[in-house]
Amino acid sequence: MTTKMIASSVYDWMDERLGLSELAAFARKKTVPVHAQSFWYYWGGITLFLFMLQCFTGVLLLVYYRPGVEAYESVRQITFVMHFGWLIRSAHAWAANLMLFAILVHMFSVFFMKAYRKPRELGWLSGMVLLGLAACFGFSGYLLPMDELSYFATKVGLQIPVAIPWIGPAIANMLRGGPEVTEFTVQRFFALHVVVLPALFIPLLAFHLWLVQRYGNAMPESEEAKPVAERKSMPFMPNFLRKDIAMWIISLNVLALLASVFPWALGKQYDALAPAPMGIHPEWYFMSPFEMLKLLGMVRWLQGEPGEIAGILLFTLGIVLWILIPFYDKNKESGRRARLAHYFGLLAVFALLATTVIGYWTIR
Amino acid sequence: MNYPFWDIPYLGSGWVIGIIAIFHVMISQFAVGGGLYLPLAERKALREARNDWLKELVGYSKFFLVLTGVFGTISGVGIWFAIGLTHPEATSTLIHNFVFGWAIEWVFFMVELSTAAVYYYTWNKIDAKLHLVVGWVYAGASVCTLIIINGILTFMLTPGDTWLGVAGTGHEASKFWNAFFNPTYWPSLLLRSCVCASLAGIWALISASRIDGGKQAALKASLVKWSVKWLVPSFVAMPFLSGWYLLMVPESQRALLTLGIDTMGTGTFSIVTRMALLIVMASATIIVAAYYLAYRNPLDFNPAHAVAILLLALMATGAGEYSREMLRKPFVIGRWMYSNGVRVPYALKIDQTGYLVHSNWVYDANSSYSRGEAIFRGECGSCHTLNGYRPLVTLLSGRDRANIESFITMLHEYKADSPYHHFMPPMVGTKQDVEDLTGFLNAHVNPPAASGQKPVQTAQK
Repeated sequence: MTTKMIASSVYDWMDERLGLSELAAFARKKTVPVHAQSFWYYWGGITLFLFMLQCFTGVLLLVYYRPGVEAYESVRQITFVMHFGWLIRSAHAWAANLMLFAILVHMFSVFFMKAYRKPRELGWLSGMVLLGLAACFGFSGYLLPMDELSYFATKVGLQIPVAIPWIGPAIANMLRGGPEVTEFTVQRFFALHVVVLPALFIPLLAFHLWLVQRYGNAMPESEEAKPVAERKSMPFMPNFLRKDIAMWIISLNVLALLASVFPWALGKQYDALAPAPMGIHPEWYFMSPFEMLKLLGMVRWLQGEPGEIAGILLFTLGIVLWILIPFYDKNKESGRRARLAHYFGLLAVFALLATTVIGYWTIR
Repeated sequence: MNYPFWDIPYLGSGWVIGIIAIFHVMISQFAVGGGLYLPLAERKALREARNDWLKELVGYSKFFLVLTGVFGTISGVGIWFAIGLTHPEATSTLIHNFVFGWAIEWVFFMVELSTAAVYYYTWNKIDAKLHLVVGWVYAGASVCTLIIINGILTFMLTPGDTWLGVAGTGHEASKFWNAFFNPTYWPSLLLRSCVCASLAGIWALISASRIDGGKQAALKASLVKWSVKWLVPSFVAMPFLSGWYLLMVPESQRALLTLGIDTMGTGTFSIVTRMALLIVMASATIIVAAYYLAYRNPLDFNPAHAVAILLLALMATGAGEYSREMLRKPFVIGRWMYSNGVRVPYALKIDQTGYLVHSNWVYDANSSYSRGEAIFRGECGSCHTLNGYRPLVTLLSGRDRANIESFITMLHEYKADSPYHHFMPPMVGTKQDVEDLTGFLNAHVNPPAASGQKPVQTAQK
């Protein structure tokens, strides 16, 4: 029996039970639009790929990581003692950053392509929740090494919810496991990072993907205006899939380049009694809200607590408006609303970039 | 010591060579591989009466002439300027040893440049067979340049025991052939030949990807497929040749490769391992991309795909050249000259006479800071900067003066079991030199809170 015959009989056996040929026929029938903006279609796939890498490297790190008082020592061993431990850790950390970057690109491309309109509202909403969960993954994972930088950055980050009137301090205490960031906080963040968040993220991701598959790729308005006969498309299987995989491989190379040339550093072990190191700042994906709060606090009549509250309210309002955009700009007949939504998107991009640049520019 | 090092703040002088060299290698190895690609493709086109191929080759040879004749030569001369300024000691040794080798190399360069121009400008103007002969002359000359430069480059990693036996006696050139055909010569020559063939295929893919597959399907499919085949020898032979090459490298230097497996640090601690990973990753991706995107689907193969493959090749080549440079650590010429230009047998002598006796930097003999600065520039400056690439201010941060001094003393004593023994040269000089260097570094790592001592400007004598 040749290898081909064995493979064929295994396929037949599986096909009979799982209906693989129907699935393959369906994938071949499914098409993806081809136009000048097709490039943006790959960013969802890149995000998915980076998430899978996160899971893989995360499980490997889980083998040696010990939360609690030994957290720092275990990360030190992973980084400096275990064979290729530094590589797995660097890949995990860089993939997290790349994934958040890919999500943001994906979100803005969906926004400007107006892919949130009917019937894709749930796709947009589930995507926004996934972004929120990804940010939580980033925040909770950042503390786990318990080095000087992660300790103080988390300490500063957890000051933000404290500004919420009445319930703020209680929320912060619940997250910290007490009034200070300690090994109990690591324990909580670890549980959040490896159990709670994945348990929420994975089913929601499956739902999001199912919606994408159900409604297909949205087209930009310029493309939708064309007669159906003039629109181009390519089969999902194998053409789009092949290009998608090529993008995954490119992402893997970018990740390898970053992890090899700039391995993720491990600072000194935290010392709760020591002063915070100079230039402490949040990760780049939290820099924008952090800077917005800082800027509002500088307004003369908003200094102190009122500024913090105003900042949080303003930021929350912006996010709520952003999330609810499908219910404002509902369809292609939206007209003035569509234009306003577009300007709102441009304003968001500008605000994010400007505050991030100012944030890094003013680090001391 | 004949000359001071070229002081490049922040970037470091090594990167000046590195940036020019990586750019140059991509083009010069293409010049060799492409030199074989063109006559072989022309011969195939003539034999099979493929006029469409010939038309395409005219355009390709123009691209080839411009890229290799302009950018290749400019960057090649750039390397000469850069190494002369950056590492005068090592350059001096190479010239004294290989002056005739280099003279021959330049003759071949002249032949190469002339024939490349003749080859392009005589398309359809001279007899086809004669034109093909011009192509073969170019190919022969370019292969010869590789044969020669490979001897000089590999000499720097593994000069061999015979040459080392006469090194420093003034009779080094008498062992020219031993130095030339050194232990890593053959594996390196075969490795580079494979890389040349791959680069020829990859650059040809750039050209072929621009053909409109809708209008010239047969031409595009045949050229893309034929170009992909140029990558095959490389990917079949590379793993074995790399193994052979590494086997020829002294064990102490090979240890740099394993050093990075279980530890992560900055600088040389694990960089060879990290670069090796990049080479494997990028090469594997090139295989997959070349097979699936180009060979299996030649008509869909577009310039974006071709540029992606080229960038991957740049990544692999850059990482490969960087690793080769790093494998030489702590030497710039294996077992003969440390990376800071100090000849190995002279280290003990300098320990007795003091480093500054041999230094050409101007310094204020009455200022410890100024003496320390001159020592820093001579002994550390070839690999480190203060605040830029491999910054000593960062690498030594957190250490007080006593700690910095004990670190420099450790480098000065240079015990065999020191982890730095693998990749850093000893700190040579007297106790006073150690003191002076400590003072200079401490002034930058732990600057005085108030107005500190202003750096004294040193200059070349």
